[in-house]
Amino acid sequence: MEPKFNLNRPKISDEEINKNKDFDNLVKQFKEQSIQRARSDVSFFKNKKATYAAVIAGIAVVCTVTYLTVSNRSNKQTATNEKTNTLTENKKPGTRKTFISPPSQKLNVPYNSYKVNNAKGGELAHHTSTKLKIPKNAFVNKAGEQIVGDVEIQYREFHDQADIIASGIPMRYDSAGTSYTFESAGMFDVKGFQNGEEVFISPAAPITIEFASEYPTDTYNQYYLDTAAQKWNVIKHDTPSAYKNANDRPPNVLPQAQKSITEKNIEKKIEYIPKKIDSVKTVYDKKIVALPSPQQPGKPTKPTGRPQINLDVDFKDFPELVAFKNVLFEVGNENKNYSKEISQTTWNSAIISAGPQKGKNYILTLKNRTREEKFVVYPVLTGECYETAAKVYEKKFNEYNTLLDKRAADGQKLKDEMAAKQKAYVEEQKKLSAELLKEQIRVQRDMEAQYANQNKNAGVQNKVLRVFQVSNFGIYNSDCPRSMPKGPVIQPDYYSSTSVPLDPTIVYLVDMGSNIVYNMSNNSYSFMYDTRKKYSLCIVAGGSLYVCNNEQFNSTVKQNSRKFIFKSVDAENIADFKKALEI
Amino acid sequence: MSFNPRYHHTATQLHDEQLIIEAAKLNPERFGPLYDKYYKQIFGYVYQRMEDKDSAFDITSQVFLKALTNINRYEYKGVPFASWLFRIAHSEVMQLFRDQKNKRAINADVGDLKNIYEEVQEPFFEEYLPALQQMIKQLPEDDLQMIELRFFEHRPFKEIAEILNITENNAKVRMYRILERLKKTITNFKI
Repeated sequence: MEPKFNLNRPKISDEEINKNKDFDNLVKQFKEQSIQRARSDVSFFKNKKATYAAVIAGIAVVCTVTYLTVSNRSNKQTATNEKTNTLTENKKPGTRKTFISPPSQKLNVPYNSYKVNNAKGGELAHHTSTKLKIPKNAFVNKAGEQIVGDVEIQYREFHDQADIIASGIPMRYDSAGTSYTFESAGMFDVKGFQNGEEVFISPAAPITIEFASEYPTDTYNQYYLDTAAQKWNVIKHDTPSAYKNANDRPPNVLPQAQKSITEKNIEKKIEYIPKKIDSVKTVYDKKIVALPSPQQPGKPTKPTGRPQINLDVDFKDFPELVAFKNVLFEVGNENKNYSKEISQTTWNSAIISAGPQKGKNYILTLKNRTREEKFVVYPVLTGECYETAAKVYEKKFNEYNTLLDKRAADGQKLKDEMAAKQKAYVEEQKKLSAELLKEQIRVQRDMEAQYANQNKNAGVQNKVLRVFQVSNFGIYNSDCPRSMPKGPVIQPDYYSSTSVPLDPTIVYLVDMGSNIVYNMSNNSYSFMYDTRKKYSLCIVAGGSLYVCNNEQFNSTVKQNSRKFIFKSVDAENIADFKKALEI
Repeated sequence: MSFNPRYHHTATQLHDEQLIIEAAKLNPERFGPLYDKYYKQIFGYVYQRMEDKDSAFDITSQVFLKALTNINRYEYKGVPFASWLFRIAHSEVMQLFRDQKNKRAINADVGDLKNIYEEVQEPFFEEYLPALQQMIKQLPEDDLQMIELRFFEHRPFKEIAEILNITENNAKVRMYRILERLKKTITNFKI
């Protein structure tokens, strides 16, 4: 198992660390441990009675564990035989993460985001006419401290069978050992965040959600989905109330589309490109600077008649003079302090160092106990030495020029490489910007389609209010548990419209007349249906959604055929999915 | 929070600390100054390797209890008492991870990861972070320990050597080899 990697985890304050220091307790534990150790020195297992007691206790534990294991297995087997699908089955190891599992992220119902100041509270109007009434100081952090500033509320609703399927929220409900499926009068999912951190509702200030339900009857209860225990918990009977007048409904305002994951990813990629371009420049600038730089050879010169000094120079320090055999140093004209007396004085040290014109002249420092004199000196050569040095210089100067040309060519090559890389990044940026625009248009269209669909429903339905007192963020439901359909048994074979057999992982039996979606995934090969009801089938196979509409379903069961034909759902958003399901 | 504010000691400080240790050997109540002095450092060391804060506090208490229980076996070797505590802490956290692997976590700042890139002389982009994180997660525990001590806790080699009970030179060689391996992998996803 790989360890978890946390980036920039918040630091723990010194105060909190100090709070956990408890030296007195440490000493107490130490003393208790010492006493126990002293007692254990009296060999417990030398006591025969204790040994027998331990053996008997061990046997008893083994027997109990064995019995419980066998008993559990037996119970599980019974449940499987009855083919009942309960929420508790989802508690199997490894399935916890998929408890709420939308069949397609693309079709999932998107959240709307609202901001509310915690100190002020407020009333948020969702575009379906639902109101979220938030009292002052309703939100706390995980330590129970009041949140300061704005809180982001993410909210979404589920009204029909398509929403239920798209959400992936389990609609099974167990009561007194019997499994039911919820008929829904609407669900909502509400969450709160500040700066990306989850916030919580203060027990002292629950929020009120006046949920606009499209199902007016008085047959529903309110439930809360406990995602940790993976079950629905009943809250109370849900009594709907009508809107006092039409003006109570908030004006319909097109909500601002939230950024899709694709959009965010593209934006992130675009954001990195200028950094990449800069980095390419940095890398190549370094490479160009690091190109080998040839050293210009020193040009030999003849003496001009000025005084000369013969010095024993270590050429390691002055490589440009290596070729100058028998070099002499001539005192330059600029040395106004030079006089004959200098040459007659006894000096203890003569040090030569680089001069003002590097490679051309040098500083000669002469010292004795009382004086120090500095002169600019020039290297000169005489006779044959000059001729030889001139030839060497010519050769080296040619080499120097060749190396200079090479350096310029290499530098240009690197610059061209850099320009090509930078150009590629600029092209990539243009391409990504085009993709981003396309994605933004798609997201906006999805939002408009969803909005139009919800408004269409709002216009034709007689909405009622269902009031929830929300003291925990999460998923709430106004529902009525219904038994599984009773009637003739169908044993479907699943085929695509091109007669390719499908192997569904999820099977939904959709009651088109009531707002119920039965999950038949665990007994997809054989289940019952009620002949008085209108059904469609929706399946997930190979990661794709397929629908067998009501007409196709009826025609298949009338012919007593097992071959159910499914059309692939090529939906880009939830509105398209609703059309495919004929809702 | 700096987890290692005062690891290094002068000769006088080491001597004073030695006197406290000798006193604590005779009377556990005298262990207090050492507990106060090193609690934050040890907690920092433990929490750096863990996900869960509460467990980190538990392990820290366990480390000091073990230290107090075994203080009579402690021998002064010319290094701060902290190095002995760190070794106990290391042993405790490793024992926990053997029993409960899900407790192990790696905690770093983006700047720390950037330093690794700088160390191997490669340009750094934030988009490389997931790959680098994955690479670090897959390091053997000993190598991960070195990376944590050096880059995430910013400890000098001398201190790392004392904590791991190896020579300073050995610590440098180990780190060099780890970075060589990392560099090879990193170059696979550079520009």
